[in-house]
Amino acid sequence: MAKNYWPKLMFFTMLIMVLALAACGGTDETSTDEGSEDTGSEEETSEGDSGEGSGDSGDSAASGEGEIYNYEDFNVQVSNDAEPTGEGTLNVGLSSDTPFEGTLNFNLYQGNPDFEVISLFDEPLLTMDEDFQFTNEGAMEFEVNEADNSVTFTMKDGVTWHDGEPLTIQDYVYAYEVIGHPDYPGIRGSTDGFTLLEGYNEYKAGEADEISGIEVIDDQTAEFTYTELAPSLTSGGFWFYAMPEHHYEGVEIADMAEAPQTRENPLGIGPYQVDSITPGESVVMTKYEDYWRGEPQLDGIELSVVSPSSVANAMETGEIDLAINFPTDQYPDVADMEGVEWLANLEGSYTYIGFKLGEWNEEEGRVDYKPEEMKMGDKDLRRAMWHAMDNNAVGERFYNGLRWKGTTLITPYHADWHNEDIEVPQYDPEEANRILDEAGYDDTDGDGFREDPDGEPLEINFASMSGGDIAEPLANYYIQSWREVGLNVQLTNGRLIEFNTFYDMLENDDEAIDIYQGAWSVGSDVDPYGLYGPDVPFNYPRYETEESTQLMEEGNSPEAMDIETRREIYNEWQALMVEEMPVIPTLYRAEVEPVNDRVVNYGMHIEYNEETLPYQWGVSE
Amino acid sequence: MLKFTIRRLLITFPQLILLSVLVFMLGSLMPGDALSGLIDPNIPASAIEERREELGLNDPWYIQYRDWVFAMFQGDFGTSIFHQRPVMDVIGGRLMNTVWLSLFSTVLIYLLGLPLGLVSGRYNDSLLDTTITGYTYLGFATPQFIFGLVLLWIFGYNLDLFPTGGSVAPGIEPGSIDYVLSKINHLVLPSFAIALIGLVGTVQYLRSGVIETKQKDFIVLARAKGVSESSVYNRHIFRNSILPIAAFFGYEIVALLGGSIFIEMIYSYPGMGRLFLDSISTRDFSVANVLILFYGFLAIAGALLSDIILSIIDPRIRIK
Repeated sequence: MAKNYWPKLMFFTMLIMVLALAACGGTDETSTDEGSEDTGSEEETSEGDSGEGSGDSGDSAASGEGEIYNYEDFNVQVSNDAEPTGEGTLNVGLSSDTPFEGTLNFNLYQGNPDFEVISLFDEPLLTMDEDFQFTNEGAMEFEVNEADNSVTFTMKDGVTWHDGEPLTIQDYVYAYEVIGHPDYPGIRGSTDGFTLLEGYNEYKAGEADEISGIEVIDDQTAEFTYTELAPSLTSGGFWFYAMPEHHYEGVEIADMAEAPQTRENPLGIGPYQVDSITPGESVVMTKYEDYWRGEPQLDGIELSVVSPSSVANAMETGEIDLAINFPTDQYPDVADMEGVEWLANLEGSYTYIGFKLGEWNEEEGRVDYKPEEMKMGDKDLRRAMWHAMDNNAVGERFYNGLRWKGTTLITPYHADWHNEDIEVPQYDPEEANRILDEAGYDDTDGDGFREDPDGEPLEINFASMSGGDIAEPLANYYIQSWREVGLNVQLTNGRLIEFNTFYDMLENDDEAIDIYQGAWSVGSDVDPYGLYGPDVPFNYPRYETEESTQLMEEGNSPEAMDIETRREIYNEWQALMVEEMPVIPTLYRAEVEPVNDRVVNYGMHIEYNEETLPYQWGVSE
Repeated sequence: MLKFTIRRLLITFPQLILLSVLVFMLGSLMPGDALSGLIDPNIPASAIEERREELGLNDPWYIQYRDWVFAMFQGDFGTSIFHQRPVMDVIGGRLMNTVWLSLFSTVLIYLLGLPLGLVSGRYNDSLLDTTITGYTYLGFATPQFIFGLVLLWIFGYNLDLFPTGGSVAPGIEPGSIDYVLSKINHLVLPSFAIALIGLVGTVQYLRSGVIETKQKDFIVLARAKGVSESSVYNRHIFRNSILPIAAFFGYEIVALLGGSIFIEMIYSYPGMGRLFLDSISTRDFSVANVLILFYGFLAIAGALLSDIILSIIDPRIRIK
């Protein structure tokens, strides 16, 4: 008897299962690959204000089919142009699968989630224009005196910390003194803005009690003297932030990051002040009436951390008004969401294929570029490999068009520096075959793969990182493409490699890597020396030519303070890199961000723009 | 009993020491360290190297181990490089959340699981039993993260009955009644997500235990004596069929205290599971080591707890 309803029951339970699975189809994708930590999908580098390691789950699943998007069709600023009501609370969702650390000070934080939180209640003193050049619209002004290699910084009147204390130039100087201090518990303070400052290196080494290059003139003004005026100084070199000296009175520098002044009652100068913090989860901020630019348009901001697996739902139900760090790969699934406007902007990063062209010379501390000894040393071979890759198809098929074929090593993110006129090899397998034929790569033993010009078998080992659903098909796609032009490419170790191991192998010039796929994110300064200079370990291809080094050095020399000159130098360098191909930029990227229709005056990662400054954000009704 | 407990605790120490040595050794074999994630072209390699030297990351593992043990005996568990604060603070911040979540889940598992298992075993092969068993099969087959998402989607977003993330509503004064209520409110969905899937094992064990026991001779005897049916089930059968569950109780609690990574992720719940995973992938060994030791201790304590519970329930075990 009892057996009779079994089939029915099973049918119903199966039905429920099917419905349940279908219902969450949109959101479960990212949650299935937690195992592969998101920092694993790429390497982040940053500068000044951009912070480390934005959670990039962008390498996980975009569907293979579906619509193709172009970031240029999106707004970067919300289209709702109603007047803000002047009240209301903005609910900001921070999409992150880890709680924020809670080191809430620009001078001390490490992780990107913290940076996003701090940005809501504090702000940089200096503003930047579209070319990433410092401007004088912020709370502090600067003036370069080329005659004596000095810069005069002046605080504007009427700027106060949230506790009512006036912001003085001493707070800015204090930031240098803390970051440069031998006890400072971090690795900031190695950029030009610090190291070029006179007396800084002595202070950092503990040989001097103060930085001799800083002269405080009065409460508002100080003069900083530099050993040389490099162009990087005015494009992100000067330190961006002040640090409230009175707030940290009596706190040892080594303990600052864990002090209650940082974690429980952080202080800023921004339009909103911190009211309460639930560690790792949420921050409630209220309007700071005395904000120096004018009265903020909201009663307050409530920020909470939302899991990437449910952030789309939180947007849809209106629980949050905007989602910072929204996982771009989810966009195609939720593009039609009602009541939400999607903004998109360029991301300052690129994916690339690198070639090992030498080794790191530990003793001399510089690369040992030796193309004639390395497998990938032949330019023709590299050029053929570039011709063999169809990166526009990769962008469309794997990323729905939100990534697309890259051209030069200075990305369109640096719009004014990127040269889009430079011709780069296009997808053309026949051309690739022709180049290889001409260069003498023939299949002499008839195994279907080409041998090198000396007739030796050519086996190319390709290293690629694990992480996300796309990593494997993408790596296979490239291997397939290269095999089609007769090159025997295979995965290093036969599988994808975990993030830490991958960079460990790269750094140590492991012989099992001939070519690799990596990614860099770029900072505000366009100077590529930190990645491709001859004496930097991050020059993973181990590439060095006199011409390239000279161009990069010229690009950051005092002569290049003139923007036109600097642009020409970098144009030349970009062209040279396309010519030499130590690495091939494969994909440029865009990111999207959903914003509720009721939000006004909000923009996505726009550099200085009076209209979309945080104090202008508001809601319409 | 006391002797037994003390003896068990004494064995614990060499186990923990062995565990910590193993962890340190294996950790040093892993590529990368806490600073390798901070690759940044603006930071000269020499600065990173200096920091490494400062933190002692370049020392061989046994030197690091020695320093770590000495510091630990002075109550210093080290500082997390990634979180920039003492390890104990980092863990402490997450520990209470995890404790509450596992407490809630455990209570739910047994509160729901025991009656279900008893009923199912008592009326085996009835419609009720088939339904319950069907549910347990379904529960076995459903991955926890899918189930968590479905619950979140239905009760959090569609019906809007429960908060969808975090452990407490923003901006509430800690310590107030509202705070406690908000905490409980935030616990409902995640703990049900854990419990409704987690209880299937308990139900199945109990069901087969009951079915097996009720055919035993002493039950037939009890019935023949005229013991009432409810008393037969609640006293004789229950006590005998609970043994395997009691044996697992300690482990169950320990597993929950370890943190549930998927549930923590889905509900943005700051607990220990995620912390553990993150500290490994960022190579933040000072946190990972303490956590592993803590888990190791828990596992041993859990086994002990199970033994103690068993000996309370089952007099046969008490015989020396």
